[in-house]
Amino acid sequence: MAGSTTKTVYDLFQSMECAPAAPSGDATAQAWLDHHSRSLGLFVDSKFVRPADRQSCSLADSKGRVLCSTTCAEEADISQCASSAVNGLEAWRSLSCYQRSKVLLRLVGVLGQHGQCVSELCELCEASCSPATLVRMLQYYSSWAELRDTLMSNWTPLGVVAVVSSDDCSLYSLMLKVLPALAMGNSVIIVPGRCTAPPALLLAQLFTAAGLPAGALNVLTGSDVTLGAKVAQNPNISYVTYSGNKQDGVMLSKATAGMGVPLSVSPYIGATCPFIIFETADLDSAVDEVIEAAFKKRREVCWVLCVQENVVDRVVNRLKLRLAGRKCVALSSDAERDLVDAAVQEAEHQGATLIQSCAPPPSAAQYPPTVLCGVAPASPCVATPSPGPLLPLMIFRSNTEAVTLGNHSPHGLAASIWTEDLTLALETAKSLAVGSVWVNSHSVLDPCLPVSGHKDSGTSTDGGQEGLFQFLCPSSSSSPPLPHSSPIPMDYSKFGTGARPTAVIPGDSNTASAPQSYLQFVGGKACKSVSGSSVAVQSPGGGSVLAYCPDGGRKDVRNAVEAAAKVQPGWMKKAPSARAQSLHALAKGLEAKRRDLSTSIHVQTGLSVDEADREVELSVGRLSVWAAYCDKIQGGSLPVPKPGTALSIPEPLGVLGVVLPEKNPLLSMVTILAAAIATGNAIIMVPSEKNPLPVLAFIQVLQSSDLPAGLVNVITGSRDQLTVALANHSVIKAIWYWGSAEGCQYLQHTCTSPLKTLRLFCQKDEEGSDGGKDWTRSDPALLEDMWRNAVEWKSVWISTA
Amino acid sequence: MTSSSKSIVSFLSSCSWLSDREWISKVRVNTQAVLRRAQHIQGQKIPNKQWQTAWLLKAVTCIDLTTLSGDDTPSNVHRLCLKAIQPIRYDQLEKMDMHNKGITTAAVCVYPSRVADAVKSLKAANSNLPVASVATGFPAGQVPLETRLQEVRMAVADGATEIDIVINRTLALTGQWEAMYDEICQFREACGAAHMKTILAVGELGTFTNVYKASIVAMMAGSDFIKTSTGKEAVNATYPVAIVMARAIREYFLCTGHKVGFKPAGGIRTAQESLVWLTLIKEELGNEWLCPHLFRLGASSLLADIERQIYHYVTGQYAAFHELPMA
Repeated sequence: MAGSTTKTVYDLFQSMECAPAAPSGDATAQAWLDHHSRSLGLFVDSKFVRPADRQSCSLADSKGRVLCSTTCAEEADISQCASSAVNGLEAWRSLSCYQRSKVLLRLVGVLGQHGQCVSELCELCEASCSPATLVRMLQYYSSWAELRDTLMSNWTPLGVVAVVSSDDCSLYSLMLKVLPALAMGNSVIIVPGRCTAPPALLLAQLFTAAGLPAGALNVLTGSDVTLGAKVAQNPNISYVTYSGNKQDGVMLSKATAGMGVPLSVSPYIGATCPFIIFETADLDSAVDEVIEAAFKKRREVCWVLCVQENVVDRVVNRLKLRLAGRKCVALSSDAERDLVDAAVQEAEHQGATLIQSCAPPPSAAQYPPTVLCGVAPASPCVATPSPGPLLPLMIFRSNTEAVTLGNHSPHGLAASIWTEDLTLALETAKSLAVGSVWVNSHSVLDPCLPVSGHKDSGTSTDGGQEGLFQFLCPSSSSSPPLPHSSPIPMDYSKFGTGARPTAVIPGDSNTASAPQSYLQFVGGKACKSVSGSSVAVQSPGGGSVLAYCPDGGRKDVRNAVEAAAKVQPGWMKKAPSARAQSLHALAKGLEAKRRDLSTSIHVQTGLSVDEADREVELSVGRLSVWAAYCDKIQGGSLPVPKPGTALSIPEPLGVLGVVLPEKNPLLSMVTILAAAIATGNAIIMVPSEKNPLPVLAFIQVLQSSDLPAGLVNVITGSRDQLTVALANHSVIKAIWYWGSAEGCQYLQHTCTSPLKTLRLFCQKDEEGSDGGKDWTRSDPALLEDMWRNAVEWKSVWISTA
Repeated sequence: MTSSSKSIVSFLSSCSWLSDREWISKVRVNTQAVLRRAQHIQGQKIPNKQWQTAWLLKAVTCIDLTTLSGDDTPSNVHRLCLKAIQPIRYDQLEKMDMHNKGITTAAVCVYPSRVADAVKSLKAANSNLPVASVATGFPAGQVPLETRLQEVRMAVADGATEIDIVINRTLALTGQWEAMYDEICQFREACGAAHMKTILAVGELGTFTNVYKASIVAMMAGSDFIKTSTGKEAVNATYPVAIVMARAIREYFLCTGHKVGFKPAGGIRTAQESLVWLTLIKEELGNEWLCPHLFRLGASSLLADIERQIYHYVTGQYAAFHELPMA
């Protein structure tokens, strides 16, 4: 500063340089930190608590100065916090919707008074989230709080929700989970990452000032994400949701496996996102915005620039011109600089050419914005992006190739596409396997736009009405699907490999009374298992062998997935009314075979013939209900307060793997089957080991139906072995599992890379109960819960006037 | 093929990137992205203290000090010319050590009939400040081509060294780009050695895409500057439209290596706005364009506000109007 003030008006008149950036004020935030003696406690029961003898974790600002320290919570703090949260939950959920809504709105007023402090603190902690953004979120969620019982009747809050985030998670992503959870009447324990901890503590304090009951929002800080797992262990926690980077997400998933608490993860940080420029784009705008997106200081996603071949020269020329003279981007450490240098060197070694704003400074924790031209999906800088301001540029030939290139990534968070051609824009938006598509714009965030990572980018939807349902459950579901438990010590590599009772060749050679041999159903054909062997199905009392069914395994699952993946895209593209007709036909087919199915239920479960008849009848009805739902499951346009058009579209997950419940073997199966295919999915079903016969008998109905071959598959055999096979097939996007606690734990531990959406129901063998689900009921909320779990959301933003 | 279409085709094929004749029709401008960009630029920090003063003085040197009224007479044109020579009080420039740095406006701009008066006044004051004249049926351009050409020739004959022509909006709106190119070429010829600034009248072109196309055609036809508007349309110089024109200038430079100047005009009244304009040019075209050869501000009342800001910088006081010499 001293050097520049000596410059005369004439010097500046000639150089026309910009004034040096004035340091932004941070007095209010510093005063708040000073008030807390620079040592922040935990926020429990509406007050800061500083238990003695806790470790602390110090937080530095961007210049390396120590800002403050946070307390590392321990077991005692967690249980204190959890019981506070239970009290808070009672107080909070007993308020009326109107009162809850008012609290959120009052926080808007409180933010009006203390907005300066919030924004300065966010700035200091590099967790930037402007007070205006928070106000928008609060207003949006206060209206949902008000209308919860009106628009979502028959849904209740889950209970105590833990929101966990990694160190690099933004305050926006964190609040996008906290606010809807509160708005729906849950109490929340925030386990923030390092840089969001101080702002989260401040917001919790301001919430109290706005009248939030004590305990409804608590904040526990720690040294890393393992605190999240410790919190999840507490029996009072109903649901854990995570936002942040992938590594911590995987760590949390593995650590919480077997605790009997559902977990959803949104690993948005570090996802690779395509930025696609078509020949029909406004190239100047596209180039300006890709520079803005890719080279900002705190980069949450890794953009990859994809340019159509016939405009690549023009784009490159513009990039050169627009990058020239841009300042270096600060890196977080010298170590990061080494990584960037290594990545650039490797890219150059493989023939990449660079567009840089200036030569990299010899050695400093900064690097100039750099475009790596001439790289390919096989290049390390694309496959495993390094930190720093690097932007790989790849070339595509045609519109379809753009989609292929854009989809060829494990991530599925977002994409930005640039074209003035509306048809192309919408077609591309539809075909990209990502949760958010921004047309002629990028990084448009608003609480009413659902953010739903596809593929490896997440298992939950945040934002929008769509994002509220993760914090609700149907009022009629009695008990939590997963009872809390302690993880069982288990060798994951041995799960499902235990010796199975092999079918004994019946000694009785009387063919008339010999048990029937059933076939399974793979790729539209009734067939034996690949292994060729069978397992015996016991009669209800367990005394005798009822039948033999194929002993399916890994290869049967492989074949089924192959067939399913082949037909699913076509099924998804079918008109909803066409899907409805197929389901109606299936219902008709079932009705025609009602006698057979009823007998199989009777024989298998020992239910009376009347009861069995009733189950078949209910099943026919259930199929019709789902047929009717086919064209009622829809998205809509969203009221984003910006100039443009926003759409939210439900899309099928793809191929689902289901390990079926024991109870009501036919009814539960058709309910799940129809929910899956009504929404456009393909399905691979594993009937319960105990009661497979009704499902196997249903194969004849499937065979005579007009469903495309491979859409529905049935594989029988050892449940555990097939669970392992489903878990280890990357094409399967989601697993719904009714089975043992070990199985649940195995899936939670295993289905992390790639991520699978899990719906787990622990059924206790003796009682035959299955996660409290009563299959005979068909409340709208129960059905909605099912179809919402069978789809993932895509939001499309088109910036228009 | 007419001679005009031949000439545009030959121009197009002289640049390899333009070898496709349909290039003009392929131009795409995304309105919302341009508006966002404009908002981004308007949201940038405005320089303060000596930076602001230096920038404001730069703005002064880029002003085409303009009077375009029905009641212009030799006397008010005379006052305008003397103001153009000494736009900021000498004593104040002296305090900043800027008194000997040749701070004048870039030119004076008048109607063709007043060119002779302006030339006379400037000559009498021993100044070689250029006189700019609007021409070609300003502001509507709805007069026969021959009349418009004659107007240019007469203004040049009277001593105008810069001519601000208006394009024929009828041709632009009906997509007759080749005919428009041909007309502008004829104006160019009529201008002779005088600089030609082409007014696109962006407020009447309807879309950003038309603005971009008109900019390219005007530059192809040999304009030294492209100018936003006459100041007489309903919508005049706006930042979004300036971004579109600046991008066209950049594209033209990328492809031909020729630097064409930019002149926003109409509605620019405050010092603050002039700083945003300088920021916009700096962001979109770079520092190189921040000089009177490549950037002009068409304005009449802007200067008074800049004077007040500079007065405040020098003295720490807010000036009363009578403390500043009137134009």
